[in-house]
Amino acid sequence: MRRLLDFLYDASAWLAALAMIGVLLMVLLSIVSRQVGFHVPGTDAYAGYCMAAAGFLALAHTLKRNEHIRVTLLLGRLQGKARHGLEMWGLSAGVLLAGLFAVYAVRLAWNSHAFNDISTGNDATPLWIPQLTMAIGTLVLLVAFLDEWVQELRGRRQSAGSEEALHNE
Amino acid sequence: MSEVAITTMLIVLLFLLLGSGVWIGLTLGGVAWIGMQLFSSRPAGDAMAVTVWGSASSWTLTALPLFIWMGEILFRTKLSESMFRGLAPWVSRLPGRLLHTNVIGCTIFAAVSGSSAATCATIGKMTLPELDRRGYPEDITIGSLAGAGTLGLLIPPSIIMIVYGVTADVSIARLFVAGIIPGVVLASLFSGYLAVWAVLNKKRIPVPGERMTFAQKLSESRHLIPVVVLIAAVLGSIYTGIATATEAAAVGVVGALVLSAVQGSLNWATFRDSLLGATRLYCMIALILAGAAFLTLSMGYIGLPRHLAEFVGSLGLSPFMLMVALAIFYIVLGCFLDGISMVVLTMGVILPTVQAAGFDLIWFGIFVVIVVEMAQITPPVGFNLFVLQGMTGKEITWIARVTMPFFFLMCGMVLLLWFVPQMATWMPSKM
Amino acid sequence: QTKWDLPAAYPASNFHSENLVQFANDVDKATGGKLKITVHPNASLFKAPEIKRAVQGGQAQIGEILLVNFQNEWQIFGADGIPFLADSYDSAMKLWRAQKPMVDKKLGEQGMMVLYAVAWPPQGIYTKKPINSASDMKGLKWRAYSPATARIAELVGAQPVTVQAAELSQAMATGVVDSYMSSGSTGWDTKTYEHIKNWYDTQAWLPKNAVIVNRAAFNALDKPTQEALLKAGADAERRGWEMSRKTNTEVLEKLKANGMTIHAPSTQLKADMKKVGDTMLKEWLDKAGPEGQQLVDAYRKM
Ligand code: NA
Ligand code: NA
Repeated sequence: MRRLLDFLYDASAWLAALAMIGVLLMVLLSIVSRQVGFHVPGTDAYAGYCMAAAGFLALAHTLKRNEHIRVTLLLGRLQGKARHGLEMWGLSAGVLLAGLFAVYAVRLAWNSHAFNDISTGNDATPLWIPQLTMAIGTLVLLVAFLDEWVQELRGRRQSAGSEEALHNE
Repeated sequence: MSEVAITTMLIVLLFLLLGSGVWIGLTLGGVAWIGMQLFSSRPAGDAMAVTVWGSASSWTLTALPLFIWMGEILFRTKLSESMFRGLAPWVSRLPGRLLHTNVIGCTIFAAVSGSSAATCATIGKMTLPELDRRGYPEDITIGSLAGAGTLGLLIPPSIIMIVYGVTADVSIARLFVAGIIPGVVLASLFSGYLAVWAVLNKKRIPVPGERMTFAQKLSESRHLIPVVVLIAAVLGSIYTGIATATEAAAVGVVGALVLSAVQGSLNWATFRDSLLGATRLYCMIALILAGAAFLTLSMGYIGLPRHLAEFVGSLGLSPFMLMVALAIFYIVLGCFLDGISMVVLTMGVILPTVQAAGFDLIWFGIFVVIVVEMAQITPPVGFNLFVLQGMTGKEITWIARVTMPFFFLMCGMVLLLWFVPQMATWMPSKM
Repeated sequence: QTKWDLPAAYPASNFHSENLVQFANDVDKATGGKLKITVHPNASLFKAPEIKRAVQGGQAQIGEILLVNFQNEWQIFGADGIPFLADSYDSAMKLWRAQKPMVDKKLGEQGMMVLYAVAWPPQGIYTKKPINSASDMKGLKWRAYSPATARIAELVGAQPVTVQAAELSQAMATGVVDSYMSSGSTGWDTKTYEHIKNWYDTQAWLPKNAVIVNRAAFNALDKPTQEALLKAGADAERRGWEMSRKTNTEVLEKLKANGMTIHAPSTQLKADMKKVGDTMLKEWLDKAGPEGQQLVDAYRKM
């Protein structure tokens, strides 16, 4: 189970990284096409979709690496039971909000399909396709929050704050 | 429920959620959700999803992840080290010496990037570790970076000026030109403060290296070549019409990769690390941007900023007092909303008042940009604070505290702009 | 009391937005305050491409959309973007009369209805260097912001360039773009006259903004309120078209005063552009199928 979950977060993060490369390639394509004199319709829209995918698909991985920021002023001062309690509260709120986010992200893609919502730009993409990345990314985030919640409940979660290393070394 | 009660409740809720350690992006979304459900009689969920998707996939934002990536690549090259070697002899006479690198770096990079978060992230990635290694104290280096990063908005190109220009029906080209002098003046204020701080805190500045002759200085300057070439490439691509201001970020990434290859630091491991590091840092910001976009929508439905703006407009103040009231209004709003949302949500109501008071709209645009800059560094919702928390792992309250002097310098800048309006209006009038 | 939100994409100073505010006031007065409509201009609530969907999903009860924006979804929405099919206010009005029942039916299937539509001023060509025929347009860096404008570029041999509205001003200044097609009022709004000095008044097409209403929200109103809304809509339509004509005249004067030369297109250019229009009409009919033909027939009979 553990390995399956970790694989899920990592796979999703690698897709996000690919999407990041996609942003670069799409923007470069629009520069180069102008210089060389050909036209690829919709590079701007594709760059936007790639950027959204990069953001959403990396959500869980970033949470697991403890790089989503929060105010740990109070958490850092608490010890033992009190700290565990506050962590449980924060994670419960996280599960709830990530859940809402995921539900409506899935509904968005679903409705886009049902409404036949098509991009108004030159790309004319059916919007449910790029919106899948938001649905999947937020669902994986929900799984990651549930995972953290269960681990904290069992007392196996690495505590926040302690491992907040300088990312600048 | 009265406006005051709603505002108070939402702010208390925001502080409770943030203080109890709920992730910042989720907190913003949660407050927006509750505000919308309770006070707008509109179902929140679908509107949230549409808005979040719209902002997350908006092409105008694509420069942000790319500049972050550029920073991550440069961080893994010897570029920052050589930049510091090249700069050191030139700032050796200035009190505070290399402390000024953040201000200098941000001012130059601001001419490339239109956003404050990207400026802060890219420059910080290069300067912070190097300044730390050389023994400069963190409180002043991080504070000066947070403050100087906001110059990305005032020195053209600038996203917020484009938004304001379209809203207020003011020439964007003139706005860009109008931002140059105030941008340089603000950067000088920052540098001046750093110099004074350095004089007062002599012991906290590391000892200088040996004195150099002018010839030595020049020879050391060769280390600046890579950084100058990179910036020239990015700036050049904009001003020769090869790339638009947003696309220039891609030129920056390619330039950084080339530089990294030339210096021999490009391999699979550094490429992978820079890519994943950039993806995570961008993802962290994207979650907060998503929450902020939803909060903006929620505020639009509830109508709070609009009503507050109407209230300010109805006070019938003298021009100076109106300017002070507006500054306070935007500073307070800026604690909770990001800059673009502030402009979009309030301008329709504020502009008639401002025009009636006889303010020059270009001047007012620069005023708005400076107060929006302040919003980037005021807690609880300040994007430069978030970027720096993500990069350094420091507590946001601490970052806000060390940034405080720069906030007051910007307040001083607003006053200066009031008494010397020509700073903003002179250059556009020459066009 | 019922409260409606009306998201719109254009700045508050644009004549469409001013007309919306007037419309909201009329509704307020006619219903004795029973229906309050808050106009959210300048994309402050939803952005242009999101508004139709927001109305469809009930996140906004009423909204203003640019019809041609939705051509990818259904070709008939884009009929007022076909060059030279309807090239004056009068023919644009006729086209709208032919288009309206079909648009109403389509929106009806999607749970919406159309209240009224107002045309933008006619579209012309902005270009840095003077042009006398389509061959002069070869190699121009042409801003293509919609499928139709991209196709025009291909047909005249210009280089279609993707530049967002937000960056248009700078793109013109640095030469990323040296030409595009739009109305005089867009040229004024975007300060095009600062960089481009020629506008060819081709009157190619008059795209329309339509105000659409969520059907369920409309049905939930009582009969007198519904009627007041419809009446205010009809008034807004009449007023809007007048405002559009007036804006067009005023804006062209303002452009001239700011150094823009307003050219009448040469006979050659006219003929060349007409050919482009014919090709695009044919292509549009292929895509739109029988209902497209039906629309064009109905329009031509008027
Ligand atoms: Na800038
Ligand atoms: Na703030």
